[in-house]
Amino acid sequence: GDSWGIFTFLCAALCNLPALPALNCSEELGTSQSIQKTYDLTRYLEHQLRTLAGTYLNYLGPPFNEPDFNPPRLARAERVPSATVDLDLWRGLTDNARLAANYRAYSRLLCYLRALDGQAGTAELRHRLGHFCSSLQGLVLSIAGVMSSLGYPLPAGPVGPPAPPGTPVAPNDFLKKMDDFWLLKELQTWLWRSAKDFNRLKKKVPPAVVTLRLEAKGF
Amino acid sequence: VSPAADPAVISPQDPTLLIGSSLVATCTVSPESHLRAEDLYWTLNGRRLPATSYTTLGPTTLSVALTRLNGSKQQSGDNLVCHSRDGGILAGSCLYVGLPPEKPVNISCWSKNMKDLTCKWAPGNEGETFLHTNYTLKYKLRWYGRDNTCQEYHTAGPYSCRIPKDLALFTPYEIWVEASNRMGVAVSDVVMLDILDVVTTDPPPDVHVSRVGDLEDQLSVRWSSPPALKDFLFQAKYQIQYRVEDSSEWKVVDDVGNQTSCRLAGLRPGTVYFVQVRCNPYGIYGSKKAGIWSDWSNPTAASTPRSERAAGGCDPKGGEQNTTLRRELKQFFGWVKKHAYGCSNLGIKLYDQWRVWLQKSHKARNQVGKDPST
Repeated sequence: GDSWGIFTFLCAALCNLPALPALNCSEELGTSQSIQKTYDLTRYLEHQLRTLAGTYLNYLGPPFNEPDFNPPRLARAERVPSATVDLDLWRGLTDNARLAANYRAYSRLLCYLRALDGQAGTAELRHRLGHFCSSLQGLVLSIAGVMSSLGYPLPAGPVGPPAPPGTPVAPNDFLKKMDDFWLLKELQTWLWRSAKDFNRLKKKVPPAVVTLRLEAKGF
Repeated sequence: VSPAADPAVISPQDPTLLIGSSLVATCTVSPESHLRAEDLYWTLNGRRLPATSYTTLGPTTLSVALTRLNGSKQQSGDNLVCHSRDGGILAGSCLYVGLPPEKPVNISCWSKNMKDLTCKWAPGNEGETFLHTNYTLKYKLRWYGRDNTCQEYHTAGPYSCRIPKDLALFTPYEIWVEASNRMGVAVSDVVMLDILDVVTTDPPPDVHVSRVGDLEDQLSVRWSSPPALKDFLFQAKYQIQYRVEDSSEWKVVDDVGNQTSCRLAGLRPGTVYFVQVRCNPYGIYGSKKAGIWSDWSNPTAASTPRSERAAGGCDPKGGEQNTTLRRELKQFFGWVKKHAYGCSNLGIKLYDQWRVWLQKSHKARNQVGKDPST
């Protein structure tokens, strides 16, 4: 129930401490636990997003908050990383490539989320958004930790946002609402798929640390 | 397959309109979409608009007439959308229908221990402008020109702001609030105040309520003066309020003056009382004016002694259960006294608090199990 949610959020908060590099964090925890933590965080974020998206879409108003709403992705440069992929292709990637894709996607998604209209909606909505961004930041750091502990290099280059120059930030308010809708939708799909990715990764990595501990206790 | 240009263009795009006004909007499809005016329809906030309000202005342009618009359904704007026959979205426009703000009113401010200044206000027209309205608190020292803007909002409710530092104590401030939204700006009247006139402080700490020997009708209340203001010359004024545990009616003792102790008299024997104290930093820096009362301290409970001789007829209903519990607890605390505390006062205090808790949970249990037919 809620207890693992709180626990994983605490982990996310811990990973947010600026003084603590993700590297140290995961080395102490062990790779397997690091992956487990990342998985838990993903599930927690999925849960949080449901409430956040509901509130935000209500703020955008109908038809955005209607369950069957499915607007076109209008002709604009692909800004938000699309979660739609060929599943076979996705599964065929190496762990490294898949983790890197996750890392890059969430870093960019985080930037877009942070840019959601700061003046928007009620204080409650802004507060929820802020809270979600903190948790998402925790996820990004957590993935970095997993990559480090598996010996993979972090993706280089500007993971940062925005659009290639020349692409306007949504040219009108309605298109901006559409962008916001798609951001939340893609985020939802990414989290859903990442959970599966981390679950599969967890099974690949032997829980070596756990075994050691048992032996030490004389079991 | 995404077309190079947007499939359609709506005009006006994202207009701001006064409540009750009318609007004619047009949707022009791009030539690449191969659609015509008769293939289009409009929705507003997800609801299809009647075809009777449409007018074809050209082969690729359809207009819609909206009359007597109500305030926007959501502050992000009403969604006016141009659709193709199959329901697909071609273009949209956000309508901001509302009112300009009215002058914010009822500005009141207070300073906690002269360290900061918090102000709150009320929006003019009961807040409903249907548009996102921004409030900015501004202030300046009376005889120095520069306007300052408050930065920390919502510290004491949605219409509040806090100025955390650099307060001038002996110069009056001018304070006002500006409200602005898409339709206009409104500025409140200017309030002039002296920080020293609106000082408040923390509730008095260390409130202790104890019996006065065996006196059945009295309790002694003691507290400390709020530490934050101890360095400033001021005459604190205190107020005490107390009530019987079963009642919601507070009795206020007003003339406590400057002391940090007081005796409550005329109380009922064998009764549990809740007591709270608050402080007013009266006369800061020699001023003759009152400040602002602090919050009440957390309630402290105590009970007056009950004489051992049967008082007759005073026991509340359910007294039997009470007596058994009382006996058990007395035995328990007797043990505690012997083995833990040496101070009988403490024992009684704990017992009183226990009794309060027991009464409460007893009541709660009664209420839960209450027979609806009673």
